[in-house]
Amino acid sequence: MARYAMVTDLRKCVACHACTVACSAEWSVPAGHARTHVRTTPLAGSFPDLKSSPHVGQCNQCDRPPCVEPCLSGATYQDAAGIVRVDGDLCIGCGFCVDACPYEARFISPLSRKVDKCDFCRPRIERGEEPACVTTCTAHAKYFGDLEDRSGEVHRMVFHEGGRRMETKTVAVGPNVFYLGRPEHLDLVLTSFPPRPPRLLTAGKALQKLAWPLVVGAVGVSLLGQAVAFFNQLHKGEDDFEE
Amino acid sequence: MRSSVVPLVPMPLSPEQAEEMLQRRIKKHHVAIILLHWFNATTWILELSTGAALISSRLFKVAPDWYIAMFNGLFGTRANLLQFHIALGMTWIIVFLPYGLFGFRTYLRGEMLNLTDRDDVRWLIVRTLRILGKTDEPLPPQGIYNAGQKAFSMVVWLMTPVVMVTGAIMAFRLVSPVLVGWAVVLHFFSVGMIVAGLVVHVYMGAVFPEEKPAFFSMITGTVNELFAYNHHFKWWREMKLAEQAWERKRRPKDEAVIADVPPGSQDTSSEPPG
Repeated sequence: MARYAMVTDLRKCVACHACTVACSAEWSVPAGHARTHVRTTPLAGSFPDLKSSPHVGQCNQCDRPPCVEPCLSGATYQDAAGIVRVDGDLCIGCGFCVDACPYEARFISPLSRKVDKCDFCRPRIERGEEPACVTTCTAHAKYFGDLEDRSGEVHRMVFHEGGRRMETKTVAVGPNVFYLGRPEHLDLVLTSFPPRPPRLLTAGKALQKLAWPLVVGAVGVSLLGQAVAFFNQLHKGEDDFEE
Repeated sequence: MRSSVVPLVPMPLSPEQAEEMLQRRIKKHHVAIILLHWFNATTWILELSTGAALISSRLFKVAPDWYIAMFNGLFGTRANLLQFHIALGMTWIIVFLPYGLFGFRTYLRGEMLNLTDRDDVRWLIVRTLRILGKTDEPLPPQGIYNAGQKAFSMVVWLMTPVVMVTGAIMAFRLVSPVLVGWAVVLHFFSVGMIVAGLVVHVYMGAVFPEEKPAFFSMITGTVNELFAYNHHFKWWREMKLAEQAWERKRRPKDEAVIADVPPGSQDTSSEPPG
């Protein structure tokens, strides 16, 4: 099975947003939302030694996706090719996964009121095409392919040209979007847009820490009481029954 | 009990009286209530079993993995499982809406737990102690529903609207994702509280020997008079007084209906207490 990955060469990226536009057109992403985020870091350093870098963020199809665990119904799952997918028929739009994502790659679509995110254009891959952002990138800065294909360019870029994952010591979930660029630029991107630790929504915490123990405790006490009563009944025998 | 004097408190019965009362049947439930009860029971079994299978997150799940896998297999896909859960839930809401909107005035009155009523409070304590084999004290007299049934009914009346509203919010993803997130919490909690009571309800109805006539009354709609006398004395007394009032109205005044009763005692005992 393939292990899909994407490489974005930040040395080529001109932050033109064509990827976002192509993606939004391909998947009818509602206005105000996007599956890819093109951003530019603030200027760093002092004149005349200034640096800045564009950055394209999207779902990283992480090896250990933090969004899967809090998904109540199992609508979010990781498929065999490592792509993190959403079963729209199963999603109830609770937003637990949105808060779990360290890369803010997820959003609740105001149209379907379900979660939406990049899935590496899975339907296009199945048709043998490349993701919309890759084919449309004006600077040819984006590459898509199978990490396990040793002759492929993605494999070469990741394993031989120093493609880097945007992860920190505290948040390392194995993102599968790799970045090429000068090390100081990649460092700047990482410090400007660091992944935030996965978190559980307040409602999720209330469910896990309050409602769950209360319910399991109450039902448990009831069952225990009934068990005691039942054994008492067996012990006493059914003699005082009127019909 | 053929005597025209309706006692204020349960009196010991002679074997003949008990035998006679065992043969008489009193109507307890309307056929509509019986149907609604079993519709509700069936819905709850299906909604609970599919609902437990729907929570697959490791953080929140209540059912083991094999159980979830079994339901995935039964329904083909998890999306079908969710669709079934929603469709049945909506059917349940639609069936219960008329009852909730129009029936509550009739039924809720008899089902309200009154914690200022000493008999209700004592009943809950004595019942628990008796089940645990800690006392042989007789149960205080009860109305058409005993304090335990009323306590469970209060939980159901409070939690059912929460289950329905939060279910609809999740099914149609109403208002905002934040609300849907909290609806999940409330749905889980309210169902859990009902289930905690349901465990006792099912045990008392289906397993516990003393309450077996109550279980069969949910099928036939009737209980024998002896059970009513022993377990729902206040209700039995109400029925008896109503029956006597009806008989007095029906028969001509001069017929000696109450000849065996000393003059005066009939009227005073017929008055409701207070």
